[in-house]
Amino acid sequence: MSAENLHDRSVHAPVEIHQDDGAVHVHIASAKFYVAIFLALVCLTLLTIGVAYVPLGKMNLVVAVVIASTKAALVATFFMHLRHEAKFNVLMFIGALLFIGVFFAYTMNDTERRGELDDAQGVEVFSETGKAAPGGQPVMSHEDDEHMPRHLATGGSEVK
Amino acid sequence: MSDAITSEAPGSDHEEHEHAHPKFLAHHFDTPAQQFDTAKLGMWAFLAQELLFFSGLFVAYGIYRSWYPETFAVCSHLLSRPMGGANTIVLLFSSWTAAMAVRCAQLGQQKNTSRFLIVTIICAFMFLFIKYLEYGHKFHEGLLPGNYFGHQYGGIFGSIPADAEVPDLPAKAHIYFGIYFIMTGVHALHVMVGIGVLIWIWRRNERGEFSKEYFTPVDIAALYWHLVDLIWIYLFPLLYLID
Repeated sequence: MSAENLHDRSVHAPVEIHQDDGAVHVHIASAKFYVAIFLALVCLTLLTIGVAYVPLGKMNLVVAVVIASTKAALVATFFMHLRHEAKFNVLMFIGALLFIGVFFAYTMNDTERRGELDDAQGVEVFSETGKAAPGGQPVMSHEDDEHMPRHLATGGSEVK
Repeated sequence: MSDAITSEAPGSDHEEHEHAHPKFLAHHFDTPAQQFDTAKLGMWAFLAQELLFFSGLFVAYGIYRSWYPETFAVCSHLLSRPMGGANTIVLLFSSWTAAMAVRCAQLGQQKNTSRFLIVTIICAFMFLFIKYLEYGHKFHEGLLPGNYFGHQYGGIFGSIPADAEVPDLPAKAHIYFGIYFIMTGVHALHVMVGIGVLIWIWRRNERGEFSKEYFTPVDIAALYWHLVDLIWIYLFPLLYLID
């Protein structure tokens, strides 16, 4: 271990010029670069804490998620080397994220409309007028919990 | 880069054997590059699976937060922001040290690789210790998931008399704490697994198994550790920083 110098300049192994010698060639970023990424992550953390004290209503959640996603992108792109990763591996990672989006969209499209839709039959009331929809189930009160399907919403179990 | 060997003239076999067959190269791989790419492919498939696995918890979070926004806002104030923030910094720092460990391994700097791995492991323990303090506090307050909500425990085993004060919380607070404990608990489980993996990699590095030519296990272990960091990056603002 002769040259154990942490402050080596960025070492560019020939990634583009593939001499096909079967050896592993990777891009090696400089230590300074990694420090910069870390500092950026710390700044974004402080920012997200700061923003949490600013009342922005529903935008608070959006801002928090955007900042978190920026941090996640920094970690994935540079610490996890996605920038120099094989395209197929990147595709798998991005693909997983897209499917998480599908998961969210379909699930919450349901759960956000439980008050409007019957759990088994579909249309129950017109959300605009609140009147019973033709062919729907009789409208019952949702006093216990408007979000729960009716057969589950009996007696909220509060444990004290 | 490693798909060349399929249809070559007979005699290429001999050429293959002319290459030195390094000890780290498993017999079913033609080249170190092929072995490296294969390991990376497998790891990214695993990481994609991990994201999908955690996404179930995040969707549960999304549903309940949108149903009970006030409960989530009030309950998030019962978590300790300083401790959550400190843990965020600890994990980010450990992610940096993990990336540096990989860098040193890529450069063949065995000693520095070990150093950075050890710092990463120490950070992981620090994270768990802070988490332990937080959990202990929640146990003490009776801020527990589901049916355990409102039952106060002193320490892990001792119970607190029933006349102890129960904090006045909105309905469904037990749901928030159910989500809090499961999300952070599963994450903490990943931290523990990560500690085991990192210790294993550190020992192998100490034995001199890695080199400029072969640093795949360090790389793969670090990827896992970064994923643990990724999850926490979302958990912190979503659980601790509501309003």
